[in-house]
Amino acid sequence: MPPSDPGTMAKLRLVGASKRFAVHDGELEALRPVDLIVQPQEFVALVGPSGCGKSTILNLAAGLLRPTDGMVFYDDQPVTTINRSVGYMTQKDTLLPWRNAADNIRIALELKCRAMPRDEAALRVAQIIELIGLKGFERHFPAQLSGGMRKRVALARTLIYEPETLLMDEPFGALDAQLKLLLLDQLQNLTMLRRMTVMFVTHDLGEAITLADRVIVFSARPGRIRTIRSIDLPRPRDVFKVRFTSEFARLHEELWDVLKDEVVMGTDV
Amino acid sequence: MPIAEPSQLMTRFVATVPGRIAARLVVIGALLAFWQFAPGKALRFWMSGPVDIVARLWSWILDGSLWEHLGATLTAMTLGYGIGTAVGISLGLVFGFLPKLHRVLSPYIAALYAMPKIALAPLFIIVFGIGIESRVALVAITVFFLILNSTLDGVRNVDRDLTQALSLMGATRSEVIRKVLLPAALPWIFTGMRISVRYAFTNTLLAELISANMGIGFLIEYYSGMFDATGTYAAILVLVIMSVGLTEVLSWVERTMARGHGRA
Repeated sequence: MPPSDPGTMAKLRLVGASKRFAVHDGELEALRPVDLIVQPQEFVALVGPSGCGKSTILNLAAGLLRPTDGMVFYDDQPVTTINRSVGYMTQKDTLLPWRNAADNIRIALELKCRAMPRDEAALRVAQIIELIGLKGFERHFPAQLSGGMRKRVALARTLIYEPETLLMDEPFGALDAQLKLLLLDQLQNLTMLRRMTVMFVTHDLGEAITLADRVIVFSARPGRIRTIRSIDLPRPRDVFKVRFTSEFARLHEELWDVLKDEVVMGTDV
Repeated sequence: MPIAEPSQLMTRFVATVPGRIAARLVVIGALLAFWQFAPGKALRFWMSGPVDIVARLWSWILDGSLWEHLGATLTAMTLGYGIGTAVGISLGLVFGFLPKLHRVLSPYIAALYAMPKIALAPLFIIVFGIGIESRVALVAITVFFLILNSTLDGVRNVDRDLTQALSLMGATRSEVIRKVLLPAALPWIFTGMRISVRYAFTNTLLAELISANMGIGFLIEYYSGMFDATGTYAAILVLVIMSVGLTEVLSWVERTMARGHGRA
């Protein structure tokens, strides 16, 4: 990925964007002014201690929050309302409780903006259910699924309509290690195939290095960028083996040194 | 085997289904017999008697007037209920989607909701006349406020994250309403609809009692105005039968819906 070539248009650009929330005894500074450029088709991982404003950045990119100061641009257009070009998988799954797994996954395909014949939609739902390993649970309602399964349904629901940009807030937090690797592999394949831009929030440094073109480490609250590190591991990466390479170990150690201090500070607060 | 006391035998008999029915028949039979035979000539004027009342009812059935009045009451009630429900749900959803508009209007809605709508009956009679329109309007406005409030309760309880998720996917406003707001608010709307049936029934009756040219309430009011106890009681008897029927229908709907809910 060429670093901010002036000829290419940034997919997402934060210019001095900050966020403060009013709380009962004054203001809470969630995010210090941040400058950040995400290139088209780039995979960016945001890591940092809890409450460092990573989710705030995703909310700004999705247009669900307005920055207190600064600007947010998507395709060089200021983001002033809900950004319909992104698929946002929030930390909390927002499945509709009255729809079963398959119907939840299908919902984006029912909308007028991408209306498609019923049987085509059904085919794509069946494919993605196979892909994320939810076969046999299509008729289960969210309340009947485990936390990890709900995460997978939410992931499928976001991936199925192939948004040009994916915002993901700890999508694999509640999954077991093996399944997580399988899904990371699927995510890499799909985002490469569909040329998606991805912003991915995670606590798991290994996950970030495995997938990302750039890892951005945030400081403890109030969040600001501590380090940006390009991950030049060749693609496609073998998510099952890449973590045993010496290059991976070196990157992990380097980034962990930065992150460690922040995590300690974060728990102090 | 010890011989049971007669009173014990009686208790056991009443505990069985045919026994209970027999006991009920005895009670009503005794009351009707008392009503039929006890009052003297003077009291008869005020109290009428079961035989006369049933005969009067029978004559209404024969000349068809019963169906006309029954039809008028049911029509006013169902029309008003239907209009009030439709408008209440629609406006509730609109307010759910435009919370700022709702915040501006909410004190007025609250004031109108709290006011007993029956007080509007004379006004509606001036505006719409003593025909069915004034009753439909009264019932509609009563039901409207009940349904509006339960829809708003439902919409307020919808998780904002769900509507946001749909908007991010590119859903239009009407798609968000159809796919999130309405299904999420449905349990509240159903509760409102169930409660409203009784209000619709009561207010139809009250409006007919105040001023009307048709309906069961009108019959009660008309015959009591003529000091015709037999006619009054006959109309009240119709009302009792209607209420029982309405209660039965409602509890059947509730049972069916509860079963449907359990499956989902």
